[in-house]
Amino acid sequence: MGIEGILQEGFITTNADRLINYMRTGSMWPVTFGLACCAMEMIHTGCSRYDLDRFGIVFRPSPRHSDVMIVAGTLTNKMAPALRKVYDQMAEPRWVISMGSCANGGGYYHYSYSVVRGCDRIIPVDIYIPGCPPTSEALLYGILQLQDKIHRTSTIAR
Amino acid sequence: MSTKLELLGQNLQKHLGERIAGLRTALGEISIDVDAAVYMEAMLKLRDEPELRFEQLIDLCGVDYSAYGDGRWKGKRFAVVTHLTSVTHNWRLRVRCFAPDDDFPAVPSIVSVWNSANWFEREAFDLFGIVFPGHADLRRLLCDYGFVGHPFRKDFPVSGYVEMRYDPEQKRVVYQPVSIEPREITPRTVREENYGNVENA
Repeated sequence: MGIEGILQEGFITTNADRLINYMRTGSMWPVTFGLACCAMEMIHTGCSRYDLDRFGIVFRPSPRHSDVMIVAGTLTNKMAPALRKVYDQMAEPRWVISMGSCANGGGYYHYSYSVVRGCDRIIPVDIYIPGCPPTSEALLYGILQLQDKIHRTSTIAR
Repeated sequence: MSTKLELLGQNLQKHLGERIAGLRTALGEISIDVDAAVYMEAMLKLRDEPELRFEQLIDLCGVDYSAYGDGRWKGKRFAVVTHLTSVTHNWRLRVRCFAPDDDFPAVPSIVSVWNSANWFEREAFDLFGIVFPGHADLRRLLCDYGFVGHPFRKDFPVSGYVEMRYDPEQKRVVYQPVSIEPREITPRTVREENYGNVENA
């Protein structure tokens, strides 16, 4: 952002894309979607020690309030229609973080008869976080990576 | 063997008598076999007889014996195993009941005896395909709605027959035939001879 010259008069200049992306990354509200043990790590990340609130990230109980979905855990065939339904209800722009081996590609249950072999078969995924389960720091790093990804997108200038 | 276990064995013989098809005592536990024809009355006796008084059903599960002992098993294929507890006498019992027909396994429902059998029987029906005549609501419990087959049967492939993906044209999730190669897992046992001093382990 340009702050030279006119900052002492109380102004800074920037372009609209950077402003929009700044606003988006400053308040990513994930939908609460814990499926298995990864949800525990997601809860740790949201609690006071790692404190997602300081990034402006607040878990929302409704997909209509949310713009990020963290798929935390094993996605089973029985759950897949519900996952797609929740994703379809989220407002644009929306992003998906796939957390843990099971959500990335089936993981431990890759050869199972009842598990989807990766949640990217059901919904488009932006960030994959490896681990079984990933630590809270890994999830935090994944969220920061998603912020970087959002910073690179341009809404107006194409 | 403790006197308490002997007492339970005597009480079982006294009150069930002919209905017991087999009785084994191992590792401080008693297991009995009961024919499906007398299953219901034997269970009622086990609950109501003051000298037995098994008030509580801990577990009910199905068993598929088709691959048991590398094919040496000659008996019936499906069995239902229940675990009972008596709070009054502080003793436990395992009851096994074989389904008479291998192609259409059916064992009487004991929901009217112990309420807790309800979802256990639904689970056994879901995973093994054992039918429980007398059950009021015998639906699948765990598998997906419309699931075909019974996954805990030994002839069911681990990866199943179908897998799921999202179809952008129909705008919904669809089932398609399974696309991955089945994986054969042969467990490798690494253990010294006479490990733990157990003979014929």
